[in-house]
Amino acid sequence: MLHVKIPTRKEVIEEEKSKGKRIAAVYPIHYPRELFRVFNIQPVEVWGPPKTDTKKANAHLQSYICSVVQSGLSFYLEGYLDIVDLIVVPHSCDSLQGLGSIFKDFIKPKQELVTIYLPREKNKENVEFLANELKRIYKQLSQLCGFEPDDEKLMEEIKTEEKIDKLVFKFYKSRENLPLSSREFYTILRSREYLPPDKFKSILEYALLHASKGKLKKTGIVLSGLLPEPMDILDVIDDMDAFVAIDDMACCMRRVYGEGHSSDPFERIAERIVNGPPDPTKGNSFDERFEFIKSLADLTSAKGVIFYNVKFCEPEYFYHPILKEKLSKAQIRSLIIENDINEPLPQQTITRIKAFIEMIRESS
Amino acid sequence: METVKSIGIDAGSTTLKIVGVNEEGKILFSIVEDADPKVEEQTEHILNKLKENYDMESSKIVATGYGSNLIKADKKVTEITCHAKGIYEYFKTGGTAVDIGGQDNKVILISKNGKVIDFIMNDKCASGTGRFLENTAWRLKIPMEKMAELALNSDGEVKISSTCAVFAESEVISHLSRGQKLEHVIKGLHRAMVKRITSMIYTVGFNPPLMLSGGVAKNKAVVKMLEEELGEKPRIPENPQIMGAFGAALIGLSQ
Amino acid sequence: MGVKDKIKYIFSYKIAGKLLIEYNTKKTFKNFKPPKNWRTDILAPSLRTGVYTKEIIAKHYLEGRYVSGVKPVAWVTSGAPIEILKALGFYILYPENHGALCGARKVALEISEEAEKKGYSIDICSYARTDIGATLSKKTPVGKLPKPDLLLCCTNICQTVLYWYRVLAEYYKVPLIVIDTPFVYDEAKEHDIEYVKKQLEASIEVSEKVAGKSLSFSKLKEVVRLSKMAAELWLEIMNANKNKPAPISVFDQFIHMAPIVEKRGDPETVDFYSKMLDEINERIKNGIGAIKNERKRVLWDNLPIWYKIRFLSEFLAENGVSVIASTYTNAWGELAPMMDIERPIESMAKTYVYPILNRGTGHKLKTMETMVKEFDLDGAILHSDRSCKPYSVGQMDQRLKLLNELGVAALLLEADHNDPRAFADEQIKSRLKAFMEMMD
Repeated sequence: MLHVKIPTRKEVIEEEKSKGKRIAAVYPIHYPRELFRVFNIQPVEVWGPPKTDTKKANAHLQSYICSVVQSGLSFYLEGYLDIVDLIVVPHSCDSLQGLGSIFKDFIKPKQELVTIYLPREKNKENVEFLANELKRIYKQLSQLCGFEPDDEKLMEEIKTEEKIDKLVFKFYKSRENLPLSSREFYTILRSREYLPPDKFKSILEYALLHASKGKLKKTGIVLSGLLPEPMDILDVIDDMDAFVAIDDMACCMRRVYGEGHSSDPFERIAERIVNGPPDPTKGNSFDERFEFIKSLADLTSAKGVIFYNVKFCEPEYFYHPILKEKLSKAQIRSLIIENDINEPLPQQTITRIKAFIEMIRESS
Repeated sequence: METVKSIGIDAGSTTLKIVGVNEEGKILFSIVEDADPKVEEQTEHILNKLKENYDMESSKIVATGYGSNLIKADKKVTEITCHAKGIYEYFKTGGTAVDIGGQDNKVILISKNGKVIDFIMNDKCASGTGRFLENTAWRLKIPMEKMAELALNSDGEVKISSTCAVFAESEVISHLSRGQKLEHVIKGLHRAMVKRITSMIYTVGFNPPLMLSGGVAKNKAVVKMLEEELGEKPRIPENPQIMGAFGAALIGLSQ
Repeated sequence: MGVKDKIKYIFSYKIAGKLLIEYNTKKTFKNFKPPKNWRTDILAPSLRTGVYTKEIIAKHYLEGRYVSGVKPVAWVTSGAPIEILKALGFYILYPENHGALCGARKVALEISEEAEKKGYSIDICSYARTDIGATLSKKTPVGKLPKPDLLLCCTNICQTVLYWYRVLAEYYKVPLIVIDTPFVYDEAKEHDIEYVKKQLEASIEVSEKVAGKSLSFSKLKEVVRLSKMAAELWLEIMNANKNKPAPISVFDQFIHMAPIVEKRGDPETVDFYSKMLDEINERIKNGIGAIKNERKRVLWDNLPIWYKIRFLSEFLAENGVSVIASTYTNAWGELAPMMDIERPIESMAKTYVYPILNRGTGHKLKTMETMVKEFDLDGAILHSDRSCKPYSVGQMDQRLKLLNELGVAALLLEADHNDPRAFADEQIKSRLKAFMEMMD
C-alpha cells in the first residue's frame, strides 16, 4: 500500500480556477490536451461518471445509448458542470456524435462548445486533416481566450505531454514491482484525466520510488474496454489472487501516445493521435489491435484477456469475435463481459470473472 | 457409519443442493431443497441432521453458487468449474456441458482431460433461462410439469419472436387472444428458449457429446428440441440438479 | 476472366434469365392486376410501374449470381460514392439493400442468428448482423451473392459501417476503401471537403487496380449525369405528394426506392423513374390517393421496419392515415442538385459529406419542419430504431419540438429496422392508436 494523496476533480477545478485558468469538461476519448493547455485551459474529463442517476438524460437519449453517454449528459443536466467554461465533445462514435449535436442544437449550453472530428484509418491524409481540424480549434480557442499563443509555446506543451506519456509507460512496465492493488494503480493512473501535468508527474514519480525488485506472484490479466468502472471489477480480480497486469482501455493505455516527428506543432499532435495505440474509435484493423493486445500480454506475462465492454458500445462489439479467435490461436484465453457503469457489478459478472481466472490458472 | 470425505454445497438462486462423497468420490447422499433466504442457517440445519447418520468429522466443505459467500466452507469455487467437474466425472468424457438454471444458463466446453476450455453465460437478462418459461406458466396458471407436456404433445407451433422474458409473456397473451391454440403457443415458447440456448452453444463452438445439467434438464420438451436443433441426443444424468454440488464435493477430495 | 464464367454469364443472365424476366414483366404489365391479398378496400391499386421495380431487382440479383469472374464486384455502403466504380464497370452490391430484402422476406432473423452464433452481439446493427450472417452461412433468399473483389465503405451514414466492412475485409481478404466523411455539425468546413476529395482521388487508383483498367473521365461524367437525373426524378415523385390526396405512400416508396439506391447511374433507372412519374401524374390527374380515405397526412422518420411494412401500411390506412413524406426516402433525392457533371470529383466530395445522416440533429428537425409545412402534415412518426444510433439520437428532442412548436402530433415508435424481436404487434398498435387519437 502506498500513501499517495490524490486531489479530487472538484479540488482541482477549484484550485485551477482560483489561479485564473479556464476549465474544459471533456467527453471521451481522444483529444489534444496540449492544445487546451497552451490556452491556459485545464481539461477535466467526464467518463460518466459511474453511478450517476441517468433520469435526466433519458429525456434526450433512448435506452439503447450506452451508460457512458447517458451519464455524461445527466451529469451536465444535473448542474455538475456549471462551473466549467468549455464543453468538449470529440467525435468518438455515433452516440458521442449525437451528444455533441444535441448539445449544439437543443440543449445549447452557456459554455463554449468544441467538437473534434477524429479521422478514421491511419495514413497521411488523416494526419493532414486532423492538423487542419486542430488549427480550426486553435482559432476557436483564441477567439474565446483573446490571445494567440505561438508555435513555440505549443511545442513546449507537446513535449511535456510526450514526456508524461513516456513516464506512464514506465509506470506500466513497473506494474509487477509495485505494491499496489489494481484499484490503487488505476486510481493513480486515471488522475491524469484531470490533474495538471506537473502534479500528475510528481505522483507517478513518487509511486515509482516504491518499485521493488520482487515481482507480484499473481495471475496477470489484460483488461480491455473503455474504462474499469464500476471499479469493483478490479477488486473482484484482485480477490482471486490475480491482478490487472496491463490494459487496453480507452481511458488509459489507448491514449499513451508515442512521440511525434513533425516540427509543425499541429501536425505533431495529429501524428501522435493518429499513430497512437490502436483503438476501435479510430477504426484500426483487427491485426493492429490483435498485435497490440498480444504485445501487452507478452510484455507482462499476463495469462488472459478480459474484454470488459460497456453495453451498447458498438465499436467495441464488432472486434470481439475475430479478436477472440486470433487470441485463441495465439494461446491467449479471453473472456467477454458486458457492463453498465451505473449498476453495481451483477453476481453473474463476478462469477464469470472468477471462473475465467480459475480456468486460465488451471490450464497454465 | 460411513465416512464423508467431502461435501459440496451449491447454493443457487432458487434451490440449495448438497452432496456428500466418500473417498472414491461415490455419492453418499444428495439433498435438493428450495433455497431459503437465510441459506447459511438452512445449510447448517441440514448438515447437523446428516451428522446423525454420517461421520462428517473430517469432511472438507466446498461451496459454490450465488449464496456461497454466506456459507462456511474450506473453499469457494465458481459454478462453472464445479459443473464442469461434476459432469466430467459423471460421464467420464469431455464435450459440451449445458446447465440451464433458474436465472442463468451456462455452456461449458470441457477438454478430454476434464479442463474447462471455454464457457459462456447469459447476460443479465433472463432470455432463454428457466425464468422465461416460469413467467408464462405463472401468468397462465399452468404448472411447470404441464408446460412441457403440452409442448411435447402439440401438433403445431406458433413462432414467438421476442427473446425478452417480459415481452415474450405479452406476446404469448396476444397470440392466445387471437385464438391460437394454447399448446401451439407453449411449444413456440419452448422453441424460442431452446433457440437461445442453441445459439449460446454455437457461440462457444459445439463439441459433442452434449451433456445437460440443471433443473430444466428435466423438461422433456426442452431436451427433445435441443436434440432437434443440434442433431445430437443430449445425455442427462440421473439427477441433473446436483451436478454442481457433486463437482464441488469432488473438488474437496483433492484438497 | 474465365471463358467458362463468361459463357455461363452470357447464357444464364444475358440471354435466358434476362429475357425471361423481361417477358414476364411485359406480360404482367399488360394484364396488370394488384398482387393477391392487396387491400383494395383501403389502398389504391398498387402502382403498375411497380412491376419494373421487381424486374430491375430480379435482374440485378440474377446478374449477381453469374457475375463472378466476368465483372469486378464491389460491395458498398448505401451512401457510398459509387460513380467511380460504376464508370469502371463494377457490378455493385449493396449489403444494406440485401439486408432489407431479407427483412422484407422475413428471413433476416434466421440469417442474423448465424452471426450471433459466432459471437456478434445482438446489440450490433441488424443490417450488419444480417450481412455478416449471410457471409458466414451463405444463406440468402436470392440464391447466391457474388463475392466481393473490393469493398467500399463511406462513413457518411454511420460509423457502424467502418467496423462492419472491416469484418467483411477480414473474411473475404480483399481491399477495403474507406471514405471517411467528417460529421457536419452545422456547415462543412473547407478542410472537410478537401479531405474527402483527396480520399476519393486516392480511391481511384485502388479501384482501377482491381478493375484492371483505367478510369475514363467522360464515362464518369456520364454516370454522374445519369445518377443526377434519376435522383431528380425520384425527388419529383416524392414531391408529388404535396397534392391532396397524396398519390404514393411512403411504404410504397420504401419498395420502389431500391433502384435509386442500387442502380443509380444506369440509364434504365432514369427510364424507370420517368415511367413511374408518369403514372404518379396520372393518379394526380384522376384524384387517386395512395389510400382510399385520406383523413390524416403523416411523416415517417428513420429507416423502414422492413418486416412490418405491410402490417403498418394497412393498419394506418384502415384508420385513414396516409404516410406521405419521409426523411429516409428523401435522402436519395435531396442531394441531386449538388452534383455537378462538369466537376465530378469536387462535387462528389461535397455531395457525399452532406447526407442527412451526416448532419446535425437540428438539420433533421428543420427538414421535418419543412416537410410538415410543404406537405401539409398532421403528424409525424419517428421510428426510434435501436439498430441505427446516428438516425435515432436526437429524435426525442425533435419530437418535442414538432409537438410544441409546430403543434403536430408526434410519436416515438420503438422498434428495429431488421430485427423482429424488437417489435411487438400489440404494443405497436396501441401506441399508434393513441397517436391517431392525438391527431383527431
